[in-house]
Amino acid sequence: MEVAYGAGDGDEDAKAIVAKSEAHIGTLFEQTYRPWDGELGPRWVRNYAIFRHHVYGLFKGTGHRHYHPMVRLAIFVILLYSLLPVLMLFLASLSSDSFMNDTFSRLWGINRYNLWGQVLGYFPRNLCCWPMLTALVVGGMISDDRKFGTSAIYFSRPVTRTDYTVMKYVSVAVVLGFVIVLSYFVYYTSAIVFNGEGWAYLVDTLPMFLGGLIAGILVVITYTSIGLALSSISQSRFFAAIAFLGVIYGTKLLALLIDSQFDSSILYVLSPYDSLAHIGQWLLGIEPNYDHPLAFSVVSMLLYNAASVGLLTYRVGSLEVTRE
Amino acid sequence: MDSASGPEPVITSRNLRKMYGPHLALDNINLDIPPGAIGILGPNGAGKSTLFKCLLGLITTTSGEGTVLGYDIRTEGDKIRSKIGYMPEYDALDPGLTGVDQVRYSGELLGMNPAHATRRAHEVLQYVGLKDQRYRKIETYSTGMKQAAKLACALVHDPDLLICDEPTNGLDQRAREFMLQTLKKTVSEGNRTVLMSSHVMDDVQDVCDRIVMIHQGKIVVQRRIDDLANQVEREIEISVWGGASKMQEELESRGLVVRRMGRVMRVIRVDDSTTTEIINAASTAEVQVRQMQEYDPDLEDIFLLIMDKLGAEVKGTSDLMTEAHTGGEETA
Repeated sequence: MEVAYGAGDGDEDAKAIVAKSEAHIGTLFEQTYRPWDGELGPRWVRNYAIFRHHVYGLFKGTGHRHYHPMVRLAIFVILLYSLLPVLMLFLASLSSDSFMNDTFSRLWGINRYNLWGQVLGYFPRNLCCWPMLTALVVGGMISDDRKFGTSAIYFSRPVTRTDYTVMKYVSVAVVLGFVIVLSYFVYYTSAIVFNGEGWAYLVDTLPMFLGGLIAGILVVITYTSIGLALSSISQSRFFAAIAFLGVIYGTKLLALLIDSQFDSSILYVLSPYDSLAHIGQWLLGIEPNYDHPLAFSVVSMLLYNAASVGLLTYRVGSLEVTRE
Repeated sequence: MDSASGPEPVITSRNLRKMYGPHLALDNINLDIPPGAIGILGPNGAGKSTLFKCLLGLITTTSGEGTVLGYDIRTEGDKIRSKIGYMPEYDALDPGLTGVDQVRYSGELLGMNPAHATRRAHEVLQYVGLKDQRYRKIETYSTGMKQAAKLACALVHDPDLLICDEPTNGLDQRAREFMLQTLKKTVSEGNRTVLMSSHVMDDVQDVCDRIVMIHQGKIVVQRRIDDLANQVEREIEISVWGGASKMQEELESRGLVVRRMGRVMRVIRVDDSTTTEIINAASTAEVQVRQMQEYDPDLEDIFLLIMDKLGAEVKGTSDLMTEAHTGGEETA
């Protein structure tokens, strides 16, 4: 029996002269239906497959979700940049010069401002790094399923829409968390290790660290919610990425202009970044940069998350298995 | 409807109704589908996709009940979807993945462990004729290869029931024949049940032994194709030369019912004397009868006959096709 599809490179028309004068080389195969009697795993196995597909793709070139090499490179560069303070602390620990030690310690050492800056500093982390990272990861996360019809692959199987949404959310959050939260954790622990600090230092700084950790987790959650919601409303990964950057930068710019013209910080509640920054300042015990009450920023962050998750759930609900 | 004294039905439903707001999509659907190959036929908008969604347990029914492979479609949708393979009509493949990765991932989404899913992906890709192309990215696949890859995704866990939505969409003749042969083999060798919807009656007739016809959300026919063919009035097909219109008039004046397609006419066979009547009519009308034979109705004739009786304005099955069905080619 001949196969239905040639290799497309001319092989199907190739001829070879062997024993007979002219013989066609055809690909012959026996089409035999082979049963499979294995056991299907439970729900967590299916859900882990979704998670693995999206996260492993960042590390492996084939076999999982395809991320463009430039995307993977950009994420790697952002990860390296987020670990820059670790390098600086290491260099400072090598130096015996007290001036250099003081300078390095002031710029990169553990204190409230540096811990806040590691996750919530505007330049460069929340201008260049985290929004860019989020845009690169969420672009196509759901919009590709809508564009290519791959939602049918999920929903014609025992994958519920809740499982699908949660696992996509977790996949994005883990990647963002790996860069934002893990780099924060490495930064803090390396400061202790390189400076040879003891328990007293740990006890002194742990509350600050935990405040920053919570702020970092809030950044991951909020950026994931907004990014995935935007990914779910279109068929274009480019739209999701650009729209996310637009939301983060646009609201910030608008609030900044209003603040500079009218000396009012109230419009910063429209900016997800500023709401998070405000909450982060409170968590780390830093004097806030904003005039409006903290409660406004908390409500803003909650509303952003609620609206994004609501939109995400609604849009995932509209993904089709059969198209009318 | 056939009697239920056969093998255990794979799909059953009783008074199944589905309403989208005020629109009635499925109306009192009663099904008893035994194992084998079954074709789901019906014009666009008849309710085929809605029926599939109900059977997959993806949408809740407004009323009625049903089972697929013994599982309740209202409460055990996840179990049903574990046991069946669904091949969607449109593209449902990630172009960035290779064929083997796509099929493996489809298996993993069912709960197969990665090693089993990979091994099985190689097996089913060979089965559907994509052994040599399995390491190519799907974005490089032709339409036929994509259809085969979708079939492989549906077969990866060796489902008891395979639901194929327009499996021959956009395929060239060679790929189409291979797809149909694969489906037939899945039924005959794999002993699996195949439920396929198609607008191409030849495909359904080629693969299926029975049909379910839906019209305006209702089941209008549910039986074996052979039984249906036996019920259709027998016809004699003649090819005439030199005055087809005169011949038609003459035949009709003799009380015969004629369907004319240019020089070819089909005359309903009343009894053994019909042949003699046709020859006498030709003699009277002074036309040549160049060919005369018993006409065996095919599924297309049956479909059009039923649609005609239902008052649906369908002149041919090509009327039912969109560009997606024909791959952009004009239908005859």
